[in-house]
Amino acid sequence: MTDLRSRTLSRLPGDFSRLVYLASSRDLSTGRYSHDGLAFHFSETVASKAMAACHTEVFDRLLFCSLEELIEELGKYISSTEVRPGDVLRSWKHLGSYRVTIPLECDEMAAEVFLSNVKIALAILQRRHESVLQDEQSA
Amino acid sequence: MSQLLPYLFLGLLLFAVLAWWVWDTIVHRAAAEVLAPHRSRVKSVASHRDLGERIFGPEDWDFVSRETSWEIHRMFQRERTVLAISWLRRTRLQVSQVMRAHLAVAQKSEDLKLTTEIRLAMSYLLFLVLCNSLIGWIRLLGPVRARKIVGQTLQWAAQLRGAFEQLMARVDPESCGVVGPNFNRGTVRS
Repeated sequence: MTDLRSRTLSRLPGDFSRLVYLASSRDLSTGRYSHDGLAFHFSETVASKAMAACHTEVFDRLLFCSLEELIEELGKYISSTEVRPGDVLRSWKHLGSYRVTIPLECDEMAAEVFLSNVKIALAILQRRHESVLQDEQSA
Repeated sequence: MSQLLPYLFLGLLLFAVLAWWVWDTIVHRAAAEVLAPHRSRVKSVASHRDLGERIFGPEDWDFVSRETSWEIHRMFQRERTVLAISWLRRTRLQVSQVMRAHLAVAQKSEDLKLTTEIRLAMSYLLFLVLCNSLIGWIRLLGPVRARKIVGQTLQWAAQLRGAFEQLMARVDPESCGVVGPNFNRGTVRS
């Protein structure tokens, strides 16, 4: 886990990016995580367990951070992608892509709270984005 | 005498509804949960208290009311209301589970104190009434305004838990683990 935290996760900009990275390393059919580097040094099972533990750790941090902090984290993640912020916000809102970021061993209530917070954070970010666009147009 | 009849009828009706409601909560819902335990129960138990604080805490509401539009305020209220009700229902279910576990053990026990059992049953009944009233209260006013009462209710639930634990320890020491951490200690900030 230390290896994973220091070599891979610390390079990502913020916890939301880490959450998305960890969730996307997971096979949705089996729930197993894959990480070539870790699997090479240790084993696939150890790598998967370390990834799962980190996933839960990052998820818990985001679950218990304030809405203001969550918005900041989400903003950092959106800026780090090479897609236009408006497009990311729209697709996340309509497709609900953030639902797949929840760890497998997560309590139902915790998942409900997290999804609800992300939904509100997305709405606030979209609102901010729209007002920036309006300001640019009027200028 | 005939003037009292409608009141008597109303009283009986209220009693019947209350009795049915308690029966339904203890036997049916709790039984369903006991028969089909959730895979992640252990995890949910560990953070249930903190989730309550997360849902009812004032920090997010302060931020939303300070920084955002009316539309977002409404969305936030709606979302938190759903979460708060869902969380209260779970708390109620957990108390019902404990009550059911206690009932199961108490049936086998030969060392029962009737007064203590009646007092416990009354406390449980009042807890259920309060819990259901709170759900209605949250629907009407939203979770932010109901925060204080929620905190008090959970303190009461924690006291109930203590009483259950003492009774369980006396009646059947081996089954005390049933009550264990599967309960809310009530620390919602008011």
